[in-house]
Amino acid sequence: MRYLLRRALHAVFLLFGASLLTFLFSALTPGNYFDEMRLNPQISPETVAALHAQYQLDRPLPVRYAHWLNAVAHGELGFSFAYNSPVAPLLWVRARNTLLLTVTATLLAWFIALPLGVWSAARFGRAPDRVLSWTTATLLVVPDLVLALGLLILAVRTGWFPTGGLVSVGFDELSPFHKLRDLASHMTLPVAALVLATLPMLVRHVRASVAEVLDAPYLRAARSHGIPRRKLLYGYALRAAANPLISLFGFSVGALLSGSLLVEVVMSWPGLGPLLLESILARDLYVVIGGVLLSMIFLVAGNLFADVLLYWADPRIRTVASPK
Amino acid sequence: MQPLLKVENLVKLYAARRSARSKDKLAALDGVSLSIPSGETLALVGESGSGKSTLALCIACLETPTSGSLSFEGLDVATLDENQLRLIRPQIQLVFQDPVSSLNSRWTALDIVSEPFLVQRRFTKPDRAVRALQLLDRVAIPRRLAGRRPDELSGGQKQRLAIARALALEPKLIILDEALSALDCSVQAQISNLLLELQSSLGLTYLFITHDFAMAAHLADQIAVMDRGRIVESGPAEKVLSAPRHEATRSLLAATARFVGSPSVLVTA
Amino acid sequence: MSQRRKLTKWLVVLVFLHCIVAGAGFFAPYDPVEQDRERPYLPPMRVHLMDAQNHLHLRPFFYSLRLRTGSFDQYEEDTATIVPLKFFEHGVVYHLLGFAPAHLHLFGASGARIYLLGSDAYGRDQLSRILYGGQVSLLAGLLGAGITLFLGALVGMAAGYYGGWRDELLMRVAELFLALPWLYLLFALRAFLPLAVSPLEAFLLVVVVIGMVGWARPARLVRGVVLSVKERDFVRAARGFGASDIYLLRRHILPETASVLLTQAAILVPQFVLAEMTLSFLGLGVPEPMSSWGSLLASLQQYSVLVSYWWMYLPALAIVPFFLGYLGLASALQHRTSLYKIEEQGGWNLS
Repeated sequence: MRYLLRRALHAVFLLFGASLLTFLFSALTPGNYFDEMRLNPQISPETVAALHAQYQLDRPLPVRYAHWLNAVAHGELGFSFAYNSPVAPLLWVRARNTLLLTVTATLLAWFIALPLGVWSAARFGRAPDRVLSWTTATLLVVPDLVLALGLLILAVRTGWFPTGGLVSVGFDELSPFHKLRDLASHMTLPVAALVLATLPMLVRHVRASVAEVLDAPYLRAARSHGIPRRKLLYGYALRAAANPLISLFGFSVGALLSGSLLVEVVMSWPGLGPLLLESILARDLYVVIGGVLLSMIFLVAGNLFADVLLYWADPRIRTVASPK
Repeated sequence: MQPLLKVENLVKLYAARRSARSKDKLAALDGVSLSIPSGETLALVGESGSGKSTLALCIACLETPTSGSLSFEGLDVATLDENQLRLIRPQIQLVFQDPVSSLNSRWTALDIVSEPFLVQRRFTKPDRAVRALQLLDRVAIPRRLAGRRPDELSGGQKQRLAIARALALEPKLIILDEALSALDCSVQAQISNLLLELQSSLGLTYLFITHDFAMAAHLADQIAVMDRGRIVESGPAEKVLSAPRHEATRSLLAATARFVGSPSVLVTA
Repeated sequence: MSQRRKLTKWLVVLVFLHCIVAGAGFFAPYDPVEQDRERPYLPPMRVHLMDAQNHLHLRPFFYSLRLRTGSFDQYEEDTATIVPLKFFEHGVVYHLLGFAPAHLHLFGASGARIYLLGSDAYGRDQLSRILYGGQVSLLAGLLGAGITLFLGALVGMAAGYYGGWRDELLMRVAELFLALPWLYLLFALRAFLPLAVSPLEAFLLVVVVIGMVGWARPARLVRGVVLSVKERDFVRAARGFGASDIYLLRRHILPETASVLLTQAAILVPQFVLAEMTLSFLGLGVPEPMSSWGSLLASLQQYSVLVSYWWMYLPALAIVPFFLGYLGLASALQHRTSLYKIEEQGGWNLS
């Protein structure tokens, strides 16, 4: 239990540090970007002055950081200059869209990778395994940008899938079933891109971990006891090989918000990625900080989640963590 | 006539993991005192964990003792700074137990033996090679092996190489930390004879650390027995071997007995 | 040793690929910035041996393209005009490796424009642009990886060798950097620096930014090596001769880190090339007219291009053989250590 508390504390520390880093990055950028705002005729000088005062840009850095931390603790993530609205609601909507994509893709990828990897490991070195290895190697070699663009072109030329957006025009008038179908058809391409990008690595990991375990004497003993093959593979081998896979799963969870940036931009999916890109280009400071903070929370939480899972799943960690 | 090396009440504490409180510290050396006259061999015998290697590192000035004094030729070395130490270091050299760890496997034998010259910036490059080859001759390593890497040499040759390297700076004291323990019996005999021969021709002083009394008997003039960071018995070799007083000595003797009959037979081996 | 042969095989492949890009001037028929406004968005030209009258030509040739009547972007072959393909032609002057002027090209068409991979909106030859663009992207990746490995090695050695509070501090900072989503970090860093700069400045900026983002993982790995080497007796022995810290680091410890650094290089270079491509694709990288693979793909963000001009996708495929080569190299370098090492790097995933 103390082990978990230590890991949690560690995570909190990471968050603080990373938030400080992000804050520093943005605060130390050359050029006071309020100058750009002042040049913008659409924003009145009074607004500029008010915002300037509100964000206390004349105060020293530690004060600004503390002030910002305080605001964040109250759920107030700042103000977006480009969208002319508070940052938090903006982020939630986009984050929700991103999660829709990434959760689906991650679940699908793991759902396919586990049996595929186990199946491949069970036939290690033989023809089906080698074919799979070649396929994954080939997919691995194609970076996600290339994959996403390729899929997009495919979609455009065949016309089978919509090429952008969350839903079609006139979505609200559709029946629930049609709404679902519309959403699903829009999701297909980005999810496919994400799955194709992450699947090869996952399959290789599963295959590698399980193959290593299958060689172990205790598994051969279990087989000689007559335990059926499927139970052997999933009940014994997979559980023994679970450790690195659990860590990997933690990473998958951690990347839920940040891993799909490119795919979202390429496929025009209205998620966190395109928002962040726009804000970066528009120098919309607080949106960027808020977005990065949100992704970081996920990353750190993902690692912590992996730690918790490992702790629960592997009795060895429990004994090591609490020496007597 | 002052001894070459004089250790007085040497204490070395290590902080136990995750605790800086003094009562949690591990005392690797708990008040060790010994002295070695010039030209003699002192064998330091003890079980693993008794602190022998820590003592060796302290004497070689590779670890700083927590308290106590360490004098080499009358000079207190524990208080010297690194620049001053650099002048003393050539006089005290180490030979380690495991040649795989003590020889850089990427270097050739010649490079290994000439490294001390390189570090101390002595001699020109061609000169270093000449002297290195001479050192190889001294320890009976054929010159044709000079370009080989350690993993191409046998265990005995590797240790000879380590000894040659230790001789490079013409030291007065050589500390051999279990230097023969990893070798086969016959090789051990060869190398201990080489050590004896080098001692008599070069006037070396040895601190010979081992857990094996038989080896100590073969090489030592004096024997000191170490147990849990303390010297529990010391004296001339024959006396310690024939009339051990401390329990640790007795159990170590029993463990390394390689003879049948009374201990007196061992002394004449 | 078959592993050594595999290593050599991948090295040869990589060197070959890099040579083609380095010699872009020779392999490319035209200057990448040379425009031909009369021929925008030309599809790739087809090579023929048999002409419309079913005569076999010994020299391969192309037909020049003309606009189909009634269309503004559909082309058809003009079977009356034959453009022969000539090898080792003298063409526009280029500078080999940046300084030696030359004008021998692998192939050309004595002045006429042939587009093996099509043309872009300004009539520029895509093949030439891809070859020259590769120089920018690959160089960015190599330099960026160099900076990262240098920083990582420095930090790793300092942390591992000196230990104590320095080690704690450096490793905590490294953890921080590892916790940040590095694609975001990349973008943010790049964007918060001045956007409108000259191409050369932009390139350097991209390289520096990429280099500064990824140092944490190599630093951790180097630190691990240093920690274990530090305890080796040959280091102790050298200290026993009076060796200084710098000597030990330089002569004994650094060579041991070489294999880790090389493997990291094989993994990082393609990741960084991809990072540069991504930045340029999104407009944060190298601006016109200096083309990089990423900026060549930027036009695909327009729907019209996506629909009608499929050959604009080809620059994306240019990186694939390089990825293959580097992945193969990294695997070959990894064979000695555990199966997991390269897998642990998370492959090419940029998140």
